[in-house]
Amino acid sequence: MLTLKNISKYYQVGGSKNFVLNNIDLDVEEGEFVSIMGPSGSGKSTLLNIIGMLDQPSEGYHYFMGEGVHLLKEKQRTALYKQYIGFVFQAYHLIDELTVYENIETPLIYQNIKGGERKALVADILDRFNIVGKKDLFPSQLSGGQQQLVGIARALISKPRLILADEPTGNLNSKQGEEIMELFRKLNQEDNVTIIQVTHNEKNAEYGSRIINLLDGKIESIKNI
Amino acid sequence: MFKNYIKTAWRNLLKGKVFNGLNILGLAVAIASSALLLLTVHFQFSYDKFHKNIDNIYQLYFSTNREGVVEKTGSMPVPVTPAIKAEYPEIKNISRLEGGVTTVAYGDKELEESINFVDQDFFKIFTIPVAAGSKTPLVSQNELVITKYVAKALFNNADPVGKMVRMKFGEGYKSFIVSSVIEDFPENSSINADGFIRFENTPGYQQNLKVWDNRNHSVFLSLTDNADPAVFESKLGKFVKAHFKEDLNNLKRDGAKPVANGDLMSLNLASFKDNHFNTEVGGVEGYAVNKTSIIGLLVIAIFILIIACINFINLAVARSFTRAREVGVRKTLGAGKWDLLSQFWTETIMVCLIALAIGIALASVILPYFNANFKSTIKLGMLFHPAQLLTLIGLFLLITVIAGFYPALLMMRYKTVQVLKGSVSTAKPGKVRNILLVVQFSIATLLTICTLITRQQINYVRNKPLGFNKSEVLSIPIDHGLNGAQALQLFRNQVAGEKQIVGVTGAYRNLGLGNDGSTFTSITGFNYKGHEIRSHIYSVSYDYLKTLDIKLLDGREFSKDFASDSNAVLVNQKMASLLQVNKPVGTMVPYDDKHPKKVIGVFADYNFRSLHDKIEPLTLVMDKEFPINYVFVRVRPNSLSASYDFIKEKWHQTFPNADFNASWLEQNTEKQYRNEQRLANIFNSASIIAIFISCIGLLAMSVMVILQRTKEIGIRKVLGASVSRIVLLVSSEFITLVIVAAIIAMPIAWWLMDQWLQNFAYRVSIQWWVFALATLLAVIIAALTISVQAIRAAIANPVKSIKSE
Repeated sequence: MLTLKNISKYYQVGGSKNFVLNNIDLDVEEGEFVSIMGPSGSGKSTLLNIIGMLDQPSEGYHYFMGEGVHLLKEKQRTALYKQYIGFVFQAYHLIDELTVYENIETPLIYQNIKGGERKALVADILDRFNIVGKKDLFPSQLSGGQQQLVGIARALISKPRLILADEPTGNLNSKQGEEIMELFRKLNQEDNVTIIQVTHNEKNAEYGSRIINLLDGKIESIKNI
Repeated sequence: MFKNYIKTAWRNLLKGKVFNGLNILGLAVAIASSALLLLTVHFQFSYDKFHKNIDNIYQLYFSTNREGVVEKTGSMPVPVTPAIKAEYPEIKNISRLEGGVTTVAYGDKELEESINFVDQDFFKIFTIPVAAGSKTPLVSQNELVITKYVAKALFNNADPVGKMVRMKFGEGYKSFIVSSVIEDFPENSSINADGFIRFENTPGYQQNLKVWDNRNHSVFLSLTDNADPAVFESKLGKFVKAHFKEDLNNLKRDGAKPVANGDLMSLNLASFKDNHFNTEVGGVEGYAVNKTSIIGLLVIAIFILIIACINFINLAVARSFTRAREVGVRKTLGAGKWDLLSQFWTETIMVCLIALAIGIALASVILPYFNANFKSTIKLGMLFHPAQLLTLIGLFLLITVIAGFYPALLMMRYKTVQVLKGSVSTAKPGKVRNILLVVQFSIATLLTICTLITRQQINYVRNKPLGFNKSEVLSIPIDHGLNGAQALQLFRNQVAGEKQIVGVTGAYRNLGLGNDGSTFTSITGFNYKGHEIRSHIYSVSYDYLKTLDIKLLDGREFSKDFASDSNAVLVNQKMASLLQVNKPVGTMVPYDDKHPKKVIGVFADYNFRSLHDKIEPLTLVMDKEFPINYVFVRVRPNSLSASYDFIKEKWHQTFPNADFNASWLEQNTEKQYRNEQRLANIFNSASIIAIFISCIGLLAMSVMVILQRTKEIGIRKVLGASVSRIVLLVSSEFITLVIVAAIIAMPIAWWLMDQWLQNFAYRVSIQWWVFALATLLAVIIAALTISVQAIRAAIANPVKSIKSE
């Protein structure tokens, strides 16, 4: 599904290059659940952002669903990730001015899906996540766990093939975190959604089928579970 | 998608209530004021455009150049029209037009109406729709054409066509038959009369038929379809040479300069479509308005809109800082550039729509005051005519595009990843923002300086001694139905011996502008010692100098005791100096060829015209040829209002049917500057609005900057900075910009005001402290605006702001 080849990301500081990512090679198959771990500053978030096309590498080849992302224009990249990728953030990043329902609906709007169909899709997912009763609340009226649930629902609404999660449980207590991880596992196993998550937490990392350890911008070790 | 945008927009609006409230308020005020100004401008430019042949209507005027300035006058002698029509086949229609006010009587009803004397062609040249009666009026000399309004006043609901009315000319009455009723003239018509009769009915018509040097009416014409006005105009030189030999000789002798093609006098065409702005030619129809001042209004309207737009942009940019995260999130959810642009545009349109609604409501509230203050006759309904509506919508969309797209584009430049991490790098003070602020405050300071200088000048002309007593003298216009000299005598007798009355006199012309709104100017020219002297001339009654408190320098003033005084003159110092004799009193001056007049007194120069003009030579006569049109009464300085009531009562006793339209000379002289007063009021309101809106923008800006610098401020506080130092730190950046703006505004304001002051012969000089004051004012207001926010930031607990990072 996804191939990174010789991916580097660096900043020019004076005469020398300051590497955030250094020559990363990575393949992710459809249906995998990958956890990326590593200390602060090891480049895990940057790696995730590059995979999600929010950030661009300084060097290297990036293939996604058979297309060379490094060759695409901005617009085409947007079209690509709009279709295949969903994001889940540590800080949830729900839009404060929109209700739960509207937050979940927004990606569909940007995909030009008709109103009736949107309604059905949103109702469906609300039901699945058991948050029908909260659909008219605003993010500020929800707990962290509930917000993250909405965040995931929003990421899933457009039926992405790949979910990128940047420390999805970072702001949650352990019980809430566990629930979210269970949800990810379920999605991965039942719906065959590919998941790549960045985490600090060993326990959460073990929900994945593969753990990649980063250190100073390089892959230090890979562990298959 | 649209619904989603509107929802977000609405909730965003509600979220930043104060912020958006200020924004909307500023925009609404700008919309209200510029709507009123633009309507006024539009109204002024719409003058006379309803005439179908407007492009082919011309007024004849003479140009001469005696004293280095080209004088243009539309006054024509009677024989010009028949002669020119006979000689030039290019003329399709031509009509003379002379104004007049006459008493029109029907049954026992007597109304005073303005009746114009015109030729038959008048109704072919101008578009004047006939509502009833003959479509080709004024075939015969006893026909009368009246407006619907007059018809209603005179005949109520009876059919006016065919009715016989009597009109007063001189002492007697003439009969006329109403042949047509025309629609009332619209507000934006230069030609405005209650009725029309044939030109042959003008008093003295027969005597004037062959007189080429008595100019008293205007002439309008239209040309045949294939005639070129420029070519036609160039042919008129021949006409002048053939018929105005004597004038040309006089001009040559006086060393006048040529005006065109080496000719000393030329006959020209003034296009009637510019009539309303034709302040150059003397004697145009209606009340000519200075085009520059109307364009000034347009500029002010645009200024205010610019300031409001800048505000809008700056506020939106300020807000975008807090909304960067939303943009980032939306981008990760798949929003494209256009999705975001249209979202922000929707928001802008919503804000603008709300502001528009409030603005128009505000305008309708201010409208009566605006019309009263600026002597305007605009209606808000004018906004909804197709042309204006289209302009309005166009302008509206333009503003929303400018104000909505720029901040949106700015927001989209943020790096998504950084925004989501929470570190937006908008800290660098935008050049654009600074430029916009400078533009805003330049305009505001410019308007402030203009306000100050116009106020100074108006105070100056108000308080300058004019050489006569303006506070204790009442001027009473005499009704047209009365004989002036007799009326004056009657009233004199009536109040003779009354304690509070110092003097009573009368004159041909008023001083300043009275409640009747009329001005009379009369200039005489004659040959004296081999050159021509031109002098203002008007008739007065006994005691004129005494009543008006004008200083007599030599000789005596007109007196009842000297029967020969009807052949004597009083002259002012200017005129006396032109006589080139040591002792002017006693000199015989040949005002007309047969009867020279004797100078019996010299009086000090007084400003008998407004302070726009220098004092010119003036001759006062007691000639029967000039009617007495005004009575002047001077009272004792105590209890002026009681004296007013007393005189009013006496007036009504003397003339039971006449109006009492009296005003103090002080009011009259002030009325001469009502245009300037109006301009000053406009500047005043505009500068207040400009400063107000600019400060709203500044407020928002300071909020943004302080938000961005919260951490810095916190750190500085921890390091020991005092509150005042921090306030200074935050304010100094803005204050510098305000001062830069003021410096930019100064030369522009100086130039503008210098131009404007040239209109006055007597004027204040522009002083440096005006500029300093305006700058200081801007700085103080700006400092106050910012410091509210700055102090709040400075006294905040630093622990909080540092932690928040």
